[in-house]
Amino acid sequence: MKLKSYQLAVLIVFPAAVHAQSSVTLYGVLDTGLLYQSTSAATFLPTAANLGREYQLKDGGIYSSYWGLKGSEDIGGGNKITFKLQGAFNTTTGKFGLADTPGATAMFNQYATVGASGSFGTFDAGRQIVPMIYAMADTDVRGSQYFGSILTAWLGLNQAAGWPGTSTNAPVGALYDSNALVYTTPKFYGTSLALEYAPGGVAGQVQGGTRESAVLKYSNYGLNLSALYYNGHDTNPYPLTYPTAAAVPATGLSNNRFYYLGALYTVKGFSLSTSYAIAKNPANSNSVNLEMASGGLGYQFNPAFKITSGYYYLKDRNHAANHSSEFAVGAEYNLSARTKVYAQVGYVNNKGTMSQTIIYGNPVAPGVSTNAAMVGLRHNF
Amino acid sequence: MKIFKALELAVAVLCVAASTSAWSQGGDTAGAPASTHGASQMAAPGAAAPVGRKADRALRHKVYAAIGKDKEISAGDIGISAKDGAVTLNGTVTDAAQIGQATVIAGAVPGVTSVINKLTVKKPLGGM
Repeated sequence: MKLKSYQLAVLIVFPAAVHAQSSVTLYGVLDTGLLYQSTSAATFLPTAANLGREYQLKDGGIYSSYWGLKGSEDIGGGNKITFKLQGAFNTTTGKFGLADTPGATAMFNQYATVGASGSFGTFDAGRQIVPMIYAMADTDVRGSQYFGSILTAWLGLNQAAGWPGTSTNAPVGALYDSNALVYTTPKFYGTSLALEYAPGGVAGQVQGGTRESAVLKYSNYGLNLSALYYNGHDTNPYPLTYPTAAAVPATGLSNNRFYYLGALYTVKGFSLSTSYAIAKNPANSNSVNLEMASGGLGYQFNPAFKITSGYYYLKDRNHAANHSSEFAVGAEYNLSARTKVYAQVGYVNNKGTMSQTIIYGNPVAPGVSTNAAMVGLRHNF
Repeated sequence: MKIFKALELAVAVLCVAASTSAWSQGGDTAGAPASTHGASQMAAPGAAAPVGRKADRALRHKVYAAIGKDKEISAGDIGISAKDGAVTLNGTVTDAAQIGQATVIAGAVPGVTSVINKLTVKKPLGGM
């Protein structure tokens, strides 16, 4: 309401300056539920001890809670200037989501972008959820949800590659990139291309801390296909024991590469998905050389009720003893257009040093099997 | 493409097998607001539709081509089936306004006599 009166004041003071349509929207989601998990650990370290079963109030059963402001201004010729500020927060504690620096949070950790859209496509500059995540979500029946999906499987790869889970700077691919410039072409017969480049801003090192990625997508005739390439330099410079051990200085070394191919097919109420991915440290593939494969099956009973399931397999190509299988199934029921309730169960069998989680941000004991169940509520505003 | 055709057939068989249980679910939504739950239906004016499996397949293709042209809607997330001019839309869109838009586009395709819309909104990760 404050915003409205402010806008009114602007209108009164500058009546002639307002020709173009513009709008600002305040929006968000709260998602919270009760979680049971049969094992737990304090960290993602491969040697972490099993601290036993846990019951907790958990944020983000479907996706994290977040809030944001977005707006656009029509500048004529079918072109718009857009902005988005969006941050995740934890409903159980009120804390903001993680930043790129270990242990630090950021108010707008998901999006802080300004950009333009029009017949040329869309362009966004700033911190954002990168195209590779949407490419995976579009080809996963579980939709990259926070509980047992391609997202938790991909995070499992990151944990296997030495991600301590205390920052969003990942060793394999990325969920968020800071400093990102992302251009997406318009759809052409269902096909589109997204290109990302993130300058690193490292003094004296042009390649230092840079990221580049490309996503080719096809979406028509009930079929989604995604192919993605991601490459990062100097990613995840923080060792597992950071800050005791210092961060690795940026030198422009390419140390994060991720390839992914996925498909999702929708027919009648059914959806089927499959994918395959390779994750490597191109500078040292003896340290990180991993594989991920998935399969999914879902059924939409009616517009209010659906069941989705997924199977996710991780494999360490350097050490055959390290592998992980996860199965998750979830039911979602829409109480209204803005509120849904959900119930989901998951099982993961981690072998060796694998620590694939069932739900985002909640470590399981490495090398053993774990069950989890969650019921919760998700409300949009 | 052959693999997908076979897959489609297998899923269609499964769907027929499951259809009795799927129909009975309709009762679940009785107490809920119709705007968000009930599958909306629209009858399109026009001449009598051609019949037969070949015509069904051609019509399904035409509806996909029409929806695929929309800038916002991803036709890859939508399962379209056609039977004697009656078109059913299953699957997801990313915004509530696209549900109605899909009905309008499908209804405008020549040969479509009615549209049953079972689409739901699925927000992408971090999505607005």
